[in-house]
Amino acid sequence: MGERTGFLYPFLEQASDDPEALLADLARSAAAKWEESVGLRRAVCRAHEDEVRTAAGEVATRLASGARVFAFGNGGSSADADAFVAACRAVRPRPVPALSLCADPAVLTALANDVGSDVIFTRQLAAHARAGDVAVAFSTSGGSPNLLEAFAHCRRHGVLTVGFTGHDGPRLGPSVDHRFVVQATSIHRIQEAQTALATRLTAAISIAMAEDAA
Amino acid sequence: MTPPAAPAPALAAAALALARAFHDGATLWCWCPTATSHARHLAVEFLHPVIVGKRALPAIAVEAEGGVDVLRTSVRAGDVVVVVADGDDARALDVATRAPAWGLEVIWLATGRPPPAGAATAARIVALGTDAEDADVVCAYHLLWELAHVCLEHPGVLEGRGERATTCPACMDAGDLGEVERAEGHDAVVTVGGTRQLVDLSLVEPCGAGELVVVHAGVAIAKLAGGLHG
Repeated sequence: MGERTGFLYPFLEQASDDPEALLADLARSAAAKWEESVGLRRAVCRAHEDEVRTAAGEVATRLASGARVFAFGNGGSSADADAFVAACRAVRPRPVPALSLCADPAVLTALANDVGSDVIFTRQLAAHARAGDVAVAFSTSGGSPNLLEAFAHCRRHGVLTVGFTGHDGPRLGPSVDHRFVVQATSIHRIQEAQTALATRLTAAISIAMAEDAA
Repeated sequence: MTPPAAPAPALAAAALALARAFHDGATLWCWCPTATSHARHLAVEFLHPVIVGKRALPAIAVEAEGGVDVLRTSVRAGDVVVVVADGDDARALDVATRAPAWGLEVIWLATGRPPPAGAATAARIVALGTDAEDADVVCAYHLLWELAHVCLEHPGVLEGRGERATTCPACMDAGDLGEVERAEGHDAVVTVGGTRQLVDLSLVEPCGAGELVVVHAGVAIAKLAGGLHG
């Protein structure tokens, strides 16, 4: 067992050259982590049930006034932002006008190259977002400078902020309108719980829009 | 809604196969026909791991619109593709059926129903269940990443990547799966296990570019309409 995975697999005590024994250990570990992920997601979704509904209601109200939704994040979280945007656009009967700020490499590389990675989201928000719009950020650390800067810009310009973050760090800044904090140490488990929360937020937005329309 | 049961043994087997492929120099291709976001999330996990000190492994996301056209022209024999798709997805089935001809190993994280019996027989299926939501899919590829890294730290298990089955495991048709690149008269250039070969098509004509054939000793002995058991 290598030092580097020792902390992940405490039961794998010594090097195993036997594929069958290793596979059995891996399957046992995968089953345990799967259960851990399912349990965490269930707990997190329950704990944030009211906040999800409140946030969805505010987003729906703003959408009714012509708001647009902008989503963003770094690395794997950028893919989570893209997935959230796709889910928003799939809302029926009226798709949510949502845009990913991670989708255009021409924009991202231009800003990163000419100015720096700290502004890759803020510059896009400065160009596109108006008072009343909605910004949704995905982060496991909650401390990425480009996300903190983007949310600070949103606060100054009346853009509603919805943040998904991990338990540690600055949690996306001092004042986030709707903050979904996942209490876990593993970055992977945090992302999985955020994905589950985002699925529920999209569903709640859809319901709130239908109620507003009725 | 009951959360899906852990697909643990299938994930473990897929992770070992993937680790052996990396050990042999493979590139991992990541593709989801309905969401580029899954492909990108999956690829970045391998290329730029969240745990400091983990090896960066070669992984590339293919756009949702990509599929057969991108993979056919980009992969090298011995590479692996992880497909995230519903078992009924026609484009995923097409990739899984053609992949052996390109020498490409398939790990299919199957949402919804699993692929139909007799289809995608060369693929490793990790069935996530009909109730799987996005978070289950993300969890499945996070675990695939983690388990593959554990395998990579056990050099003793990395050798002996088996010959990939190129015959039908159900009926044991002799021969290798090939994809016709171009045909002229009886003669064709056919990709078999990632290698181009000259093949005689006279037993299976008419047969054109893109069609799948079973090749034995330089002769195409059968044509597969719409898949391995079309």
